[in-house]
Amino acid sequence: MGSEKSRIRSLRIRRLTPLFFILPCILILLAVSIFPLLYSLWLSFNSWELAMGLPKRFIGLGNYIRLFQDVRFWLSMKNMGKVLLFGVGSQFLIGFTLALLLNREFRSRTLVATLFLLPTMIAPVVIGCTWRQIYHYSYGPLNYFLQATRLSGGINWLADIKLALPSIIISDTWEWTPFMMVVLLAGLQSIPVDLQEVAAIDGASRWQIFWHITLPFLKPIIIVVILIRAMDAFKLFDLVVLLTRGGPGSSSETVAYYNYLSAFKHFSMGYAAAMSYIQLVVIIIIANFFLRFLRE
Amino acid sequence: MDKGKKPEKGKRSSKSNTLIFVVIGIFLVLFLSPMLWMVLTGFKHRGEFFTYPPAFIPKHFDWSNFLGGIKLGGGKAIFDILIIASSSALISLVVGSLAAYSLSRFKIGGKNLAFWILSIRMLPPIAAALPLFILYSSLHLLDTYGALIITYSLMNIPFAVWMLKGFFDELPPSLEESALVDGCGRLAAFYKIALPLIAPGLVATTLFNFIFSWNEFLFALVFTRSHVTPLTVFIAGLIGGHEILWGEIAAVGTMASLPIIVLAIFLQRYLVRGLTMGAVKG
Repeated sequence: MGSEKSRIRSLRIRRLTPLFFILPCILILLAVSIFPLLYSLWLSFNSWELAMGLPKRFIGLGNYIRLFQDVRFWLSMKNMGKVLLFGVGSQFLIGFTLALLLNREFRSRTLVATLFLLPTMIAPVVIGCTWRQIYHYSYGPLNYFLQATRLSGGINWLADIKLALPSIIISDTWEWTPFMMVVLLAGLQSIPVDLQEVAAIDGASRWQIFWHITLPFLKPIIIVVILIRAMDAFKLFDLVVLLTRGGPGSSSETVAYYNYLSAFKHFSMGYAAAMSYIQLVVIIIIANFFLRFLRE
Repeated sequence: MDKGKKPEKGKRSSKSNTLIFVVIGIFLVLFLSPMLWMVLTGFKHRGEFFTYPPAFIPKHFDWSNFLGGIKLGGGKAIFDILIIASSSALISLVVGSLAAYSLSRFKIGGKNLAFWILSIRMLPPIAAALPLFILYSSLHLLDTYGALIITYSLMNIPFAVWMLKGFFDELPPSLEESALVDGCGRLAAFYKIALPLIAPGLVATTLFNFIFSWNEFLFALVFTRSHVTPLTVFIAGLIGGHEILWGEIAAVGTMASLPIIVLAIFLQRYLVRGLTMGAVKG
């Protein structure tokens, strides 16, 4: 009878094993993400100006209403849209072209791809520092090349109100194009060769093969890389801090940077919480949009 | 007919191949030259930062910028981030591998639980930084290793779970099952049989997590003051003030990038997988 009891006990333990395995993960994630997020949701309905030493005060939707009237917030959203459209767009186009070029057999292909990938791997802070020097108006190598080749008399990359954001986008593109290239190359490599060969024998032109076989095959991967980079657009912070600090004025502020300022420079905690919630909602909408695409 | 055509086609493709390699070479130079510029700047003499035309190659390679960078606090910064990044990578490895095993073998929670874990990784850091800042300040954790180790684990655990789940999924369960029949417990089957079999995956995941923490800036900036200075915060700090220390910045930047470059070459086979969280298996 004793053995019967212990058998039941061991069966119960066995049934709970999967739960024991995953419990530490769930507990940590709950403690460090869900509770803080619920707290900041509540915070977003409060006015809490830490810098002025005022106590927390419930104001309902006040922060959200203020947010929708905040010109600076909309500018930062618009900037993020530009990063998405021009930055991620050119990263995809250049990356895809390079991937198609690299998609052939040669001995050191993996090594070449890895070398390409180094800008993506090193710290964005280091990239920001380096590009700040490259963009330097009088002593930077970029303006030197432009002057030496008589293309331009020198461009004020980071201090011109029209060029600050494009400069950030250029550096961002430099950083992330290799990522697009390497992932799309992996996708191209996974297309079964016989599929393309059969099509070629059937008399399909290169363009037809690309359009009717390569692209449909790559579609899921294309969606994944663009989704990953679209999420990253919301996180663009490091390069902004190091290149322009959002300036001149607030012309090159991204949402992440403006949100950082409102939380940790202006100490408007409730307002900053509301801003991060709006971002969260937009991100969820974008992610769902892409995932629906993926399912089709 | 086919035979007659072949050599001609081969000739043309070898010519276009050369052209393609030239284009690839040009792009490679384009992507690597800013990094080369940084490395060379690290060796330049003080007077060489502000010359026209710019000095591309330093006249004398000297290490004074590297020593200067370390003396300014670069050594401490590297030490700090080493502790933070390895602790977080280790925690994420233990917690993540257990969870990944459970998700892969028992399908616990179905797809929803796995996606919930993934969604935490998608969180914009600033959305997490604000409430965590308030939490840490009330726990007196600001400016300690603990705050960053916990925060980085929050980002690294979901990554580890998804990466390792992929590796476990590829592993046939029959080996563990035969061990279970032999009277081995689940936990023993997990760490004696399953873990050693995905050793390369464990190493790759850990190194990726190490790199993420090493490179991270926003949390590091918000959660630290003077006691703890992660490498990225230290480098960014060199830019402020009345004088920008270009030589030291470039030298410390080089030191910060070198381990990452070594790891990237070491990780070659897993780069695509790691960068897409296992969504694309390269």
